Amino acid sequence: MSSSSDKRFLPEGRHLLMGNIAMVEGAISAGLTFFGGYPITPSTEAIEHLAKRLPEIGGCCMQMEDELASINSVIGASLVGAKSMTATSGPGLSLMTETISMAANLEIPFVFCDVQRTGPGTGLVTEPHHNDLGLMRFSGNGEFQVIAIAPMNCQELFDLTITAFNYAETYRCPVFLMSDAYLGHLHEVVNIPPKEEILKRVIKRESPEDAPARVFSYKDRETGEYVIPKPPIMGTDYCPGLFIHLPHGPEGLPTPKPMEFMEMMIEKIKSNIDKITMVDKYKLEDAEIVIIAYGLPVRTSYRAVEIARQEGIKVGLLRLITVWPFPDELVKEVVKDAKAVIVPELNYTGIIAEQVQRVTKLTTPIIKIGKVAEFHHPDDILKVIKEVAK
Amino acid sequence: MSGIAPMFPNEKPEHPYLQQSYGGKVFGNFASLFCGGCGYGIIGQIFTRIFEDEKLDPKLHPTVIGIGCYSQIMLLVHEAAQKVLALHGRAPAVATGMKMANPKMKPIVFSGDGDCLGIGGNHFIHICRRNVDCLIMIFNNSIYAMTGGQGAPTTLYGAKSTTTPYTMFENRTDGVKLALAAGAPYVARTTVAHPRTLMKYFRKALRHKGTSVIEIITPCVTYFGRKNLSNLGEEYKGEKGEKMDTGGKMIDWIKRNSVRINQAKFMTDEELFNKYIIGEFRYEPKPEYSDEYAKIQKIAMGGK
Ligand SMILES: Cc1ncc(C[n+]2csc(CCOP(=O)(O)OP(=O)(O)O)c2C)c(N)n1
Ligand code: SF4
Repeated sequence: MSSSSDKRFLPEGRHLLMGNIAMVEGAISAGLTFFGGYPITPSTEAIEHLAKRLPEIGGCCMQMEDELASINSVIGASLVGAKSMTATSGPGLSLMTETISMAANLEIPFVFCDVQRTGPGTGLVTEPHHNDLGLMRFSGNGEFQVIAIAPMNCQELFDLTITAFNYAETYRCPVFLMSDAYLGHLHEVVNIPPKEEILKRVIKRESPEDAPARVFSYKDRETGEYVIPKPPIMGTDYCPGLFIHLPHGPEGLPTPKPMEFMEMMIEKIKSNIDKITMVDKYKLEDAEIVIIAYGLPVRTSYRAVEIARQEGIKVGLLRLITVWPFPDELVKEVVKDAKAVIVPELNYTGIIAEQVQRVTKLTTPIIKIGKVAEFHHPDDILKVIKEVAK
Repeated sequence: MSGIAPMFPNEKPEHPYLQQSYGGKVFGNFASLFCGGCGYGIIGQIFTRIFEDEKLDPKLHPTVIGIGCYSQIMLLVHEAAQKVLALHGRAPAVATGMKMANPKMKPIVFSGDGDCLGIGGNHFIHICRRNVDCLIMIFNNSIYAMTGGQGAPTTLYGAKSTTTPYTMFENRTDGVKLALAAGAPYVARTTVAHPRTLMKYFRKALRHKGTSVIEIITPCVTYFGRKNLSNLGEEYKGEKGEKMDTGGKMIDWIKRNSVRINQAKFMTDEELFNKYIIGEFRYEPKPEYSDEYAKIQKIAMGGK
């Protein structure tokens, strides 16, 4: 399927785009040619927009009969060499987990856009709630690692979707884009770079010319490094005779050593954590109080830091752009000398706060600021900063 | 499954249809993991035959296999075939994605009665409705064999299984009727006791562009046969049955319990109760999904 048509790229320049649309435009720029989805608020604009856009570039957008079918069609398309993705919300993610775990086993690359809404159950369909991370990082049975990326504005929804596709191609694991109901429906100006620049960033799906027999990841016995080959493509010579989702070796045949397979599943991501992790360190050099945030609360946190700094409080922000795999070492380093860590999250539990607790082994006080179905106001965070600074 | 692979010599015999399979590579012989008397071996062999005779291009016919005893067919069938094991019931959805991402392909789906008509019923209905070019084979052994002989949506009335120890009382699903209602253009049913007919249907389905559904009645000796008597479906005639504990007895029963479609026209519903009607039910090619989608793409691209 050719996607080289000019229509693939939005004209260079400034566009006013809705979050969900910026996200799928990013995907199309990254080479998306197959989308399988099922309507669910607040992600529906994604499938609606793609139904119009994908046929224009020779791709295919299918409204499947349910989420199970969406995700399975997505991996089917990915198996035959199409860059593919799906978009859904929490209830859809719950249904898809079995297939995500299968795709992880077979190292089938795809991107998963989760426009989160308030759960549990059907919940509040148009309100945000960063509740899916818990499910996302262990999405499905078995042991495997995923990558989760949390954009905070429409520009990033465009840019980071391209990154998500590149991660999927490179690391061959499920890659999640964590949007939410507010972000997905936000309208903002997005700067679209020239197409040459986008093309330079995009990793293409190609099978290597020599078509090696080792098509799945393995540990190189000499160097001890994890080798992640390019994704095999069905219908070409670069394809194992069998894709079978049980512990398998690099050629795809069942392995008598499941333990080694599990180790590979986890370590192929963990050993690359430095390359995967993206963070923004804002005024952290002399910070005594550290805020750790991801997604929408980052925007409020930047503001809170600004105001607090004006008042002379030494506070900084660690913004997690990739939320999972959780950058243990980096966080440990950042909060080493902190008096306290503040974690504003759009949930009650504090999913990332728990991770920080785990990393700091409870030596640093951690203050969670939870909100569900509403924004943090900078004052909410500022109040806590002031209390801690006292 | 017995799990005890019969041992064959390691070298390849001079036989056009005996291919060194994946199982052969792994186990160093031409192993089959099926129980003695199971019908899946016949189906695997027929697939390999067709693959050889028709010179199928493995690159154009990805084989999507569901979960059930028949999943082991992947170790048995032609080595060149590119096979993928799907999740339980999801094979039609995977095939849809493949076909639409690469419309040159024609996926072949292997699925069981529990797989396709139970857990994956929805996907099955919708692939038939869309008419995606794909060949779906439903292996109906009237039981959930892989998990140890539980009742399936296709289990015959009065049959015994581990979850219906006092006999099955639910109504059964008819895969053929379901496919017909959902709009599949080619629908047929046959049994492993009629391998030549099966090959005929298989060939026809390969040449037909659109969803083809072939339901194949196949014996499960281990979990269906051992628990049921050979008068199943014929109790009203007052026949005395015996345990169907060998492949031969089951094949006999399947033959007896099958009625040809043109005979069935003259039979009452009561007479057809618990019978398998075999034959071709529909062959009416109609516009195929990926072809129709190509038209949409043309419109979207600004062409006429
Ligand atoms: C989601 C899920 N549920 C249950 C199972 C367990 N399971 C594996 S095979 C099978 C039954 C398959 O029956 P059928 O499709 O009729 O094939 P058969 O074994 O009879 O050949 C079940 C229930 C599973 N693998 N996945
Ligand atoms: S279907 Fe029945 S006979 Fe065939 S392998 Fe499974 S348990 Fe054995």
